[in-house]
Amino acid sequence: MLRAKLRGAFLLLTALGFSPIAHGRSLTAPIASYEISCRLDPDRKTVTGSQVLTWTNRTTRPAATLQFHLYLNAFRNTLSTFWREHRGRPPSRAVQESWGSIELTRLTLSADGTDLLPALRFIAPDDGNPYDRTVAEVDLPRAVAPGETISVNADFVSKLPRVSTRTGYKGDFFLVAQWFPKIGVLEESGWNCHQFHFDSEFFADFGDYDVTIEAPARYKGRIGATGVRVSERETSDGRVFYRFRQESVHDFAWTADPDFRLLHDIFREPGIGDVDILLFLQPEHLAQAERHFKAIKAGLEGFGRVLGPYPYPTLTVVDPPWGAGGAGGMEYPTFVVVGTSLIAPASIQSPEEVTIHEFGHQYFYGLLASNEFEEPWLDEGFVTYMTDRVVKAAYGDAHSYLTVFGVRMALGIDVRLPLDDNRRYFRHAIDDPLGIPSWKYRGPETYAALVYSKTGLALATIERLVGTPNMDRALRLYADRWRFRHPKTGDFIAALSEVTGKDVKWLFDRTFFSSGTIDYGVLEASSVPAKPPRGLFEKDGKLSAGPPAPLARAKGYDTLVTVVRNGDVALPVDILLRFEGGRTFRSSWDGEARWKRFRVTGGPRLLEALVDPDEKILLDADRTNNGRRPEGDPRAASRWTARAVFWLQNLFDFATVAW
Amino acid sequence: MSGPSGISCFARGLRLSLSKPYLAVSLWLMQLLLAAALILPVSNSLHASLDRSPLADRMIGVPDYGWWETLRRTQPELLGTFGEVVEGLLSPVGIEPDAILGLRGIGATAFSLALLAIFLHAFALGGVFGTLRETSSSLVTFGREGMRRLPAFLAFTLAAFAGAAASYRWIYVETGLALQDRVEELATEGQALAVTAVRLAALLIALAAIKLLADSVRAIWVARPDLPPVSRFLMGIGGALARPRRLLGVLAGYALITTALYVLWIVLDPPAGGEARFALVPLILTQQVFVFVRLLVKVGYYAGISEALTRTPSPEYSYVAPEGPPAPSGKVETIDDVTLQRPSGGV
Repeated sequence: MLRAKLRGAFLLLTALGFSPIAHGRSLTAPIASYEISCRLDPDRKTVTGSQVLTWTNRTTRPAATLQFHLYLNAFRNTLSTFWREHRGRPPSRAVQESWGSIELTRLTLSADGTDLLPALRFIAPDDGNPYDRTVAEVDLPRAVAPGETISVNADFVSKLPRVSTRTGYKGDFFLVAQWFPKIGVLEESGWNCHQFHFDSEFFADFGDYDVTIEAPARYKGRIGATGVRVSERETSDGRVFYRFRQESVHDFAWTADPDFRLLHDIFREPGIGDVDILLFLQPEHLAQAERHFKAIKAGLEGFGRVLGPYPYPTLTVVDPPWGAGGAGGMEYPTFVVVGTSLIAPASIQSPEEVTIHEFGHQYFYGLLASNEFEEPWLDEGFVTYMTDRVVKAAYGDAHSYLTVFGVRMALGIDVRLPLDDNRRYFRHAIDDPLGIPSWKYRGPETYAALVYSKTGLALATIERLVGTPNMDRALRLYADRWRFRHPKTGDFIAALSEVTGKDVKWLFDRTFFSSGTIDYGVLEASSVPAKPPRGLFEKDGKLSAGPPAPLARAKGYDTLVTVVRNGDVALPVDILLRFEGGRTFRSSWDGEARWKRFRVTGGPRLLEALVDPDEKILLDADRTNNGRRPEGDPRAASRWTARAVFWLQNLFDFATVAW
Repeated sequence: MSGPSGISCFARGLRLSLSKPYLAVSLWLMQLLLAAALILPVSNSLHASLDRSPLADRMIGVPDYGWWETLRRTQPELLGTFGEVVEGLLSPVGIEPDAILGLRGIGATAFSLALLAIFLHAFALGGVFGTLRETSSSLVTFGREGMRRLPAFLAFTLAAFAGAAASYRWIYVETGLALQDRVEELATEGQALAVTAVRLAALLIALAAIKLLADSVRAIWVARPDLPPVSRFLMGIGGALARPRRLLGVLAGYALITTALYVLWIVLDPPAGGEARFALVPLILTQQVFVFVRLLVKVGYYAGISEALTRTPSPEYSYVAPEGPPAPSGKVETIDDVTLQRPSGGV
């Protein structure tokens, strides 16, 4: 009863805009903190804002300049690097010609009001594109000393594009992301401030955000954002003001849509977190609310158990409307944009998979703030791997599906093995090595296949090679050690090496940083009745025809098995020979040579030879050749032939149905 | 206009089809022979990939997602782009002809065989409609009638095929492309699905109209051999336009039963479960019985169309003169040689 009352009080407080479980204190020393006041103009599709940036130089070198991301300028015209990279993309990823921009109207040092705007210049550190306006640099009148903190005031006008990629509007819906002047990351080697790319995401320092949003009153109760809503105010002239605060995050995004339906739930699990879940759902998806909540909780629990507690008091989940899917599948601190369909059979695990995936970025991106420009696999790939584990644990095998006239229909085919739906990697396996910056992949398919799928498959393979307990310990060590920092791939390798007590860098060299393929197979497997030897044999010091008595009676079977490495890359692999009578022979092969042969003379009859019998190497490009039997069994092929003929008959009939 | 309803015509057609089962047998044989052209490449590939694979045990009952993915990737010439074309055909926008022409592998062969199926379809329909008109008929009648009407029926079939292809292109694909951006701007996905449904419905109506017109022409062509070809053709068109409800009733009955058969097949899914449910031979027999039953229904549809157009005399081609005063009957007048007048005159 008391529990129910507490829950009721909690819901009431959250509905009123207060979060009783807000922490309100920094979890890490802030580097770049922002106070922003902004006003949404839904008619002009603009956000006009003023911000105070408080930035601390945490390096050991003075900073004579500042660099800012002005991401919305990627949508300024077709000469931007983003737009140039978009050319030739498939229609499914087409970007509409709806222009966006961000204009700085004031840039001053807070301390003395020095106007920095005249010294502002645009740079293009990635490709030298003189027309790209997504990175700006400004000279400071005096260098910022190591450890020194400065404040910079900026006024800006952000014009949002029609949503097609990550940010923008559709009708009255707004997903306002990458919308304010954001300072780059100063490293010991200098500024790390990349341009806005088509395939790349982001990188920023942690800080505290305090953001006030003004919007027309019709958006009342329909605005969600990073962090905790600390106040709501409505004025007599038909405006609403919302204030959000969040400490120890590295970005801020918000959304507004008068059609949103806001739903609440609470996740409370000792050791993982107390989280107020706010779900901004489209009205036509209300029936899927419980599925969203269940997925979010599965994500909180699944990721939290392995990687440690989720440290923030809120999680805002946004369901973009029809036609704004480009805003979906994106992550921002404490704020994820998911996406679903009107008709979503439960067996295809959508929206569950995307919800858990985007939540997973609260760890790999949010807390472990790796550089998404330079090492995108550290967030997307790690999340792909972990999502598969969490989804499988919570929901079991997924079914593949077919989209029929826009409606997704489940097929009765299980996606059985871990990450089987990431097999698109194999089509692009040799396009590029994984370890290159995100904008340097051959194309978007290669980027997706390698960054998401190859990393996921590689991590799952490594998990199977080192064991799940070791993998979990390594992930936890990595997550604890690098929480609120900027880890690199080497840091995870170091964590895994530490846990296993072995240097595992070679494993990553062959999987992450190689474009070679892995493919082991059984080339031949034969088992024939043994025959007595023939020819001339020594008997009483003389050569005579026919073998001596001990050799004359052959018994058992002679077995020959040849295992081959067809791929370029070698990994250790197990080999299993199964014989009649339940006897087996298991061998570990380092997999370095091109082939290995097993010969058994006079033994039991071989039933089958298997390479990688436990299906550890998920990076194996062709698992259909991983086993071979001496005797063929035509049953499966015959049944599938019968099925094929049957459907061909129907196809030919269908070919004449309308004429 | 009074007369039997579409459903009763379809029911009569089904009875006719059951009374002449060799018609369905002929169609079944044709389709089996067409499919047989692909048995060897399909079978050989499957046996080569599966027979000695330990996956074969699992694959007897259920497909293995990874195996199929690998097969498609490692043997691109086998299945070609067949899957992509099917996905394109079923997409909200549709598929351009280029994609179909770009088919490879078994998909391309299947497409060529489908064109051959259209040719054979023209022959078979000549045989079916011709045989249905005969009170005493046999397989020989089917062949004779099919060959006799092949040129005309091939022309009708190709014209209808062109009409259907044009309908798909201009009603479904082009509207899909034209509306693509606007659909994105709709408020809800429900509205977008409704737009697709309307386009699909328009396409189906056009295809139904083409089919009924073509089948009406075929039925009249066979029923009225006494008329010149142009008259028969126009009378066929007129027949369809004069009895749209009845013909639609026949088509609806055919579509419903066929859909029900497919739904039943998919729900029961006889191949699933592997040998625990059906051994190979019973499975093949079950499949072929299904195909045969479906073809019986198909012949029933054609017989129903023939019934709907020719059972009740209609003004278009069954002209009956109005009643009036009886015409005077003729009589014979005998003329003998005596009474014959001689020509007059002399020298």
